Amino acid sequence: MTQPIDTSIYAAITEAIQAEAKRLLSEGQVSVVIGYAAGRRKGSVQPVVVSDAAIADKLIFTPASVNNLAVYLTKAKKEIPKSGKIGVVVKGCDLKALVGLMGESQLKREELYLIGVPCAGVLASTVQPDTVLTADTIASKCCECDAHLPTGCDFVPNVTLPTRPQLEWKYAAEIARLEALTPAERWSFWKEQFAKCIKCYACRQVCPFCFCEQCLCDRNKPQMVESTPRPAGNTAWHIVRAMHLAGRCAGCAECERVCPMDIPLNLLNRKMAKELKELYDYEASLEVNEKGPLTSYTDKDDQSFIK
Amino acid sequence: MHPEKQKNDFEPKIIAFVCTWCTYAGADLAGTSRMQYPANVRVLKFPCTGRIDPVFILKAFQQGADGVLVSGCHPGDCHYIAGNFHARRRFAAFRKLLEFIGVDLDRLQFSWVSAAEGGKWVEVVTDLTEKVRAMGPMAEFKELAMEEQWSGAINTSELKEAYEAI
Repeated sequence: MTQPIDTSIYAAITEAIQAEAKRLLSEGQVSVVIGYAAGRRKGSVQPVVVSDAAIADKLIFTPASVNNLAVYLTKAKKEIPKSGKIGVVVKGCDLKALVGLMGESQLKREELYLIGVPCAGVLASTVQPDTVLTADTIASKCCECDAHLPTGCDFVPNVTLPTRPQLEWKYAAEIARLEALTPAERWSFWKEQFAKCIKCYACRQVCPFCFCEQCLCDRNKPQMVESTPRPAGNTAWHIVRAMHLAGRCAGCAECERVCPMDIPLNLLNRKMAKELKELYDYEASLEVNEKGPLTSYTDKDDQSFIK
Repeated sequence: MHPEKQKNDFEPKIIAFVCTWCTYAGADLAGTSRMQYPANVRVLKFPCTGRIDPVFILKAFQQGADGVLVSGCHPGDCHYIAGNFHARRRFAAFRKLLEFIGVDLDRLQFSWVSAAEGGKWVEVVTDLTEKVRAMGPMAEFKELAMEEQWSGAINTSELKEAYEAI
């Protein structure tokens, strides 16, 4: 029996979010609040856009509140009206994505009202939504989380985050395991993983940073990435995706969560984050940076690999 | 007049992505100076190393390249001020990604060759060609391109059981 993780504060957070949303909407401070509401399946949670104070008590926060709501604010997703301020419920990891989008001039801070959530962790995608949060059922990203308390938000429920037992860093362990293999072994590992891909592009749709109006991978003149779900095109797609997210990915692991074929996509993102930390001392953080590691340079960058 | 051409069992295909201002001129200098270098290299001219997208390298491997060379101006000499500085970071990251996927990095070479360095161009191209020749053909991406359908395990025990039950 594994140790359960204390999520008793989530009830207080739910109440605080409801009260704050009700106040904001009735005072007209925001046009909508994007948050989480109960889904139809027992314990499940789905994103909701609340525009009326009367239904603000639909908003909840539970260990099944896995979605990164930042995705609803990017230019590519036009479901949300861009009139007035928008209230959005954010966990620490989601806030990193929002901050990244602000750095890339996709969002303006003054157009947002951030409702920060102190988060002890959310459930992994592989378990049922009504499962109790334990060291076994927690999402891998939460084990390595360094942003339990969001900073710089307009409103944060006044709760004390319980201390959490030290959890195993699954991504770091898996990256270390793969790095120790030979190139041929790594190739066969990834070949098998990418062979599963059905090119549904769920990873692209759910990623807050995949906001291009037209994706390079959808273009056919010239066709850079084969669009059919064959092994060659799949490999190219996943390499291009990892490369385009390098130095931008906030680590919300939504790509991995939505993947219907269970490809460990966040492993690639974590690996790139690790390398960029080593090379250029850059990490996704809660501070707005206008330049990422691959959009800036110094004249002293490492060039030991160049002849 | 020409030295006797050596016969090899395997002639690697090398794709070189070069910037027009330095390396292309450097390769041109090697030619006008009548220096000999392996004919395995196919040169593709770009405005700047900053224009060379990592996806080009991927595409080259997929289309049958055995080795890829990316070459441009020395840091500080970029015609567009900072193109090669950006390229340097991008390719440093891309190398790490390819390494993690399992591509042998000996097949991918980066270099700075200025317009005056015809000799260095010859040296870089010769070194890479010989290295790749010793390694043999790049099989990984070619094999991948040959595979037709997604090859998720379609003979799992559950499926076999279900088949047997029919």
